[in-house]
Amino acid sequence: MKLYYFSAVGVLLSMGLSASELPDRQAQLPSVAKDANAQYIMPSDLSTIPEGEFGDKVRKGYQLFVNSQQMRDTYVGNELNCVNCHMNAGNKANASPLWGAYMAYPAYRKKNDKVNSYEERIQGCFTYSMNGTAPESGSESLVAISAYSYWLAMSGLMNQFNVAGPVPEMSDTDLLKGGNREDFPLPKAITSKLDQKALTMLPGRGFPKLEKPELAYSIERGKLVYLAHCQACHGEGGQGVKMAEVSALPPLWGPQTYNWGAGMHRVNTAANFIYENMPLGKSIQLTVQQAWDVAAFVNAHERPQDPRYKGNVAETQAKYHQHEGFYGKPSAADPSVILGSKSYPIFPASK
Amino acid sequence: MNKNNRLKGDYLKSVNTAAIGSIFLSSVLSFSVMANIPEESPKELLQTVPATAQVCLSCHGVDGEGLGIAGPRLAGLSSEYIADQVSHFQTGKRQNPTMMAMAMTVQGDNIKVVSDFFAAKPVADIKLQYRGDKVVITDIGEKLAFQGDWDRDIPACTSCHGPSGIGAGQFPRLAGQEPTYLKNQLLAWQSGARTGDADNMMGSIAKKLTAAEIDALTQYFSAQK
Ligand code: HEC
Ligand code: HEC
Ligand code: HEC
Ligand code: HEC
Repeated sequence: MKLYYFSAVGVLLSMGLSASELPDRQAQLPSVAKDANAQYIMPSDLSTIPEGEFGDKVRKGYQLFVNSQQMRDTYVGNELNCVNCHMNAGNKANASPLWGAYMAYPAYRKKNDKVNSYEERIQGCFTYSMNGTAPESGSESLVAISAYSYWLAMSGLMNQFNVAGPVPEMSDTDLLKGGNREDFPLPKAITSKLDQKALTMLPGRGFPKLEKPELAYSIERGKLVYLAHCQACHGEGGQGVKMAEVSALPPLWGPQTYNWGAGMHRVNTAANFIYENMPLGKSIQLTVQQAWDVAAFVNAHERPQDPRYKGNVAETQAKYHQHEGFYGKPSAADPSVILGSKSYPIFPASK
Repeated sequence: MNKNNRLKGDYLKSVNTAAIGSIFLSSVLSFSVMANIPEESPKELLQTVPATAQVCLSCHGVDGEGLGIAGPRLAGLSSEYIADQVSHFQTGKRQNPTMMAMAMTVQGDNIKVVSDFFAAKPVADIKLQYRGDKVVITDIGEKLAFQGDWDRDIPACTSCHGPSGIGAGQFPRLAGQEPTYLKNQLLAWQSGARTGDADNMMGSIAKKLTAAEIDALTQYFSAQK
């Protein structure tokens, strides 16, 4: 298995954020190419979650993750659910599974000397992907999502290395930290096979890195891909399809989706995600070129503002957007409009 | 459901004879026993139905509510979906002898007229179940409906068909639909008798389902009413 070092992570981290600024908890993951022979851990069936208080937290985490709209207006500010990007309730390899994530935090980052706990990483997804406001540290929802992630990771590892018995329970404080720490209790049968570094890069973690396209990606070609292969589900105007008040098919741009600070707004991250997971059900496989082109098309549309914006698009762009994205660049819909200048509100009320 | 809106046998017969001649009569008549007597006289009732949709009522019901195995419910489907399906029958993308012939009776602008007519018919509100409401699901149909089976790349049915399968737009309502009809559709995709869905998105899923799963799924969704 390939090992990965967090110091290799992208430019964003090198900024050395001052304490008063919103921390960047959406920093790009170290993404690796997909290995065709990879063996993924297989978490246990949900029916084996134990009765009792600990099990209740795990179940609650599942429910918040799949139906995040129950947190609309408290922590969630758009129509998305965590499961919309982390398929199969955060259990699918190569769709940034929670079991892969859990074992990688706390993540030590050299440049700003910041140790990011698992709970902080989840908070980041609330602020950016969910265009909301993060639940306070230690809150019930963060404990629940951490407990669910831990249960997936631990049951998967125990299954892989034939460790019998139930997943050991853990205190809330410890659950929130993540599995990448020396005092994290792991059976010998596991630690004798995988060292700590290997555990932070379990095969299937993140969205696999897609090779570069042959031609530079193009919004125009991307639009054609969109019309042919995405529109049926995500709608002509990218707004998804609502059924019974919820976006069964989620919006890709506009006011009700991920904001300009979310990982998915980067063309490379979206291309990785789309190539591997879309169209849903994978009745067809997009080519590498198509995935990049359509990722560019989708992300060259206006969406909710970057929460780190302080009133000036050019400044925000210079400071936080030195990567493959369209913030501060012309819009696909109307090239005379600079993306970011007509952004939608952060954490708007639902009604 | 308003029973009085159901059609009477004699009336059925006259509608059919007038519109399409007698080819389908024998099959239609065998269902007419189920029909009730309408409150309004057939003539008044007919005036509220666009001429081109009248022929459809004998199998799909006056309110598009469906008449068992004679014809599935059309109420609750969107106009765009109905229109697409009519043209799929016309072009042979959906193979069903009865419906292929019936679809030929509507052409041009009339496709939108019949589609709008049935799409406007109401369906009863049902209690909705959303993805994530239940964590542990034992019924294999309900489990596929809300959690899918990702080892076989089958997403949850409700991620496209909506909470409890109520559908919208290009995604047909499954909730409360006639079970035999639902089953036949999944089998039709497996055999190749039904195509026409964008990028084969439904066909590729139907082909992965086992016979037992198809039974469980059709039971589950048809019971949501
Ligand atoms: C719009 C899509 C989207 C939504 C919705 C979303 N995420 Fe994410 N999430 C991402 C992306 C993209 C990444 C990886 C970022 C990268 O590759 O740089 C990520 C990463 C993560 C990680 C870290 C993964 C790792 O391996 O380090 C966790 C944990 C996580 N998300 C949890 C959540 C939770 C909890 C929610 C709901 C509250 C959520 N996400 C909603 C797109 C999304
Ligand atoms: C068959 C319907 C379907 C098609 C076609 C489809 N998607 Fe999706 N897409 C979905 C569904 C449903 C989800 C949410 C998945 C879930 O919740 O399990 C989703 C999620 C997404 C997401 C993450 C959530 C969000 O709203 O940002 C992106 C990005 C995305 N799709 C892009 C695309 C692109 C680009 C294409 C065309 C190449 C495409 N999709 C084709 C159904 C579809
Ligand atoms: C003689 C009976 C009969 C008549 C009359 C009839 N249909 Fe049908 N219809 C059926 C049957 C049977 C099916 C199911 C076909 C299949 O299994 O593929 C069906 C299916 C359909 C469907 C597909 C529904 C779905 O959920 O996909 C549509 C749309 C439809 N009919 C429209 C019409 C219209 C419009 C008319 C009038 C022009 C009409 N039908 C007249 C018997 C009939
Ligand atoms: C990726 C999106 C998607 C998923 C997931 C999905 N469907 Fe569908 N389904 C569709 C679309 C689109 C159609 C309409 C096809 C057409 O236009 O002909 C459809 C049609 C159907 C029909 C025909 C209904 C009618 O009125 O004719 C049945 C039955 C059905 N789906 C059952 C299921 C079941 C059961 C599952 C879960 C195992 C499922 N679907 C999952 C997209 C989906």
